[in-house]
Amino acid sequence: MTTGALIFAQNTIGIDYVKLALFSAKQIKKHLGIPVSLATDSQAWLEFYPEHTEVFDKIIPIVGNTTQQKKFYDGTLAYQTAEWKNLTRNQAYDITPYSRTLVIDSDYIINSTTLIKALNNTYSFQIFRKSFDLAGWRDTSPFDRINQYSVPFYWGTVFIFEKTASTRSLFDLIEYIKLNWEFFRIIYKIDSPTFRNDFAFSIAIHIMNGMTEGDFAQELPGLMTYVLDRDILVKMKEDKIQFLVEKAHYPGEYTLVSTNSTDVHVMNKQSLSRFIDGGYGV
Amino acid sequence: MSKGFIVLAQNTNDIDYIHQAYALALSIHATQSETAISIITNDNIPEEYQEVFDQIIPIPWITDTIPTRYVAEHRWKIYHVTPYDETIVLDTDMLFLQDINDWWWYCQDHDLLFCTTARDYKGDVINNSIYRKTFIANDLPSPYFALHYFKKSERAEYFYKTLEFVVNNWAWCYGKLASEYYQNWLSVDLAAAIALELCGYNSSADVCSPLQFVHMKAGVQGWHPAPANWRQTIPYSFTKDGELTVGNIRQHYLFHYVEKDFIDLDIIQKLKRLANG
Repeated sequence: MTTGALIFAQNTIGIDYVKLALFSAKQIKKHLGIPVSLATDSQAWLEFYPEHTEVFDKIIPIVGNTTQQKKFYDGTLAYQTAEWKNLTRNQAYDITPYSRTLVIDSDYIINSTTLIKALNNTYSFQIFRKSFDLAGWRDTSPFDRINQYSVPFYWGTVFIFEKTASTRSLFDLIEYIKLNWEFFRIIYKIDSPTFRNDFAFSIAIHIMNGMTEGDFAQELPGLMTYVLDRDILVKMKEDKIQFLVEKAHYPGEYTLVSTNSTDVHVMNKQSLSRFIDGGYGV
Repeated sequence: MSKGFIVLAQNTNDIDYIHQAYALALSIHATQSETAISIITNDNIPEEYQEVFDQIIPIPWITDTIPTRYVAEHRWKIYHVTPYDETIVLDTDMLFLQDINDWWWYCQDHDLLFCTTARDYKGDVINNSIYRKTFIANDLPSPYFALHYFKKSERAEYFYKTLEFVVNNWAWCYGKLASEYYQNWLSVDLAAAIALELCGYNSSADVCSPLQFVHMKAGVQGWHPAPANWRQTIPYSFTKDGELTVGNIRQHYLFHYVEKDFIDLDIIQKLKRLANG
């Protein structure tokens, strides 16, 4: 049995996901000690990062022509509406070179050994359900359920799966939900027409559980700690990361927050990108 | 020891409680190991309905009192007329979706056991702080009369006699024991809470009890803003196999649908087929 990580990176005009994936892969190798492969439709960009040959185990070409539009914040006062390519995640089952795979977003920074336990257990599918917002004051109910009428929310950001018949069914189901997104978003009372992996995973897990609470998906250890794109990554040194998180009721003002040996989902990709380039994300 | 379910039904101008009790009885025949259900009523029961009931029992000791808002004044009589040694009392606007045989097993060690936990259709425990302010402010237990168990016993009889006193003197009892957020109408839940308090039976509200149901009052579903009607807010379906999904979430055990129009001809026909095997 082989174990490894898989990162998806599909560059857009605004964001160099390959750069983020390279950084994320180094963190995975440092803390989890497993090989990392890159699934990308942006292979040409790899020539800007010669070290990729040492960092990545395999480069897996994917085709992802379909894009959506999304508003990306960079702190509380600035945003741009840009392309967003998130429709290839369900290919993970078919393209992974490993029998047990950690699939991870390029903006999820591994800074601890917590996930080693999950990589070494016997569960066939693990994903985060509970999360923790570093800001502390924001409404987190959108991450409890996919909406107030509907099913539990699961984060498609990080998950571990083993190739089995049941996980095969899960990924097939996600593909089906994606192809019939308009139908599913109506019956699950999702207002936004934008396809989200989080929602597709949540609905698929709910169906795999027989439309009720069940144990098809085991929860990954710990909480999915995150900062939103309205927050800013300041710097990172060894296992410590500093963030400026938005202050309640004072747009443009922030509170300094630090983490130590904690995995963090950094949704402000611009800020993460600046940090990778120059050591500061502000 | 005989076991059975019991419902008390009194039709009003708006609601056909006998029809609801019939649907409940069908669901019991369709799902339960213990299928005896009796109905206490003075209303006419159509011939077609009669066969699903174990016994049809008239409401005894009728006086000329004016019916209360939720016709709660006869509920204390249930203990005295039940034909069973062990009884589970239900509201008419409920459906069983699965066998609850293990509830009987759990309850056999108790003389009286109330459901104190209701859940919404998502499986979350209902927050009673809005609808049960009186119970909380007056430090009363919070029983749901709509689902409780009793065994023919001194302890249960004492409770029901106390309940009779509270129901017949509810305004005085509310003033003495539920004066905070005073409720100016008789509800059997509050009367039962006071009766439990007077009997010193707080322990009858067992937090480990399996007695639970899904409560579909629209206001307790955790929705903001709360709609008036749950059936126009979320989709639901009842399959020919008796599986009920609400908001795409499968429901289990006992479902308290609350809204009278929920039981339509389609559901009745499916229940009939299931009840007849």
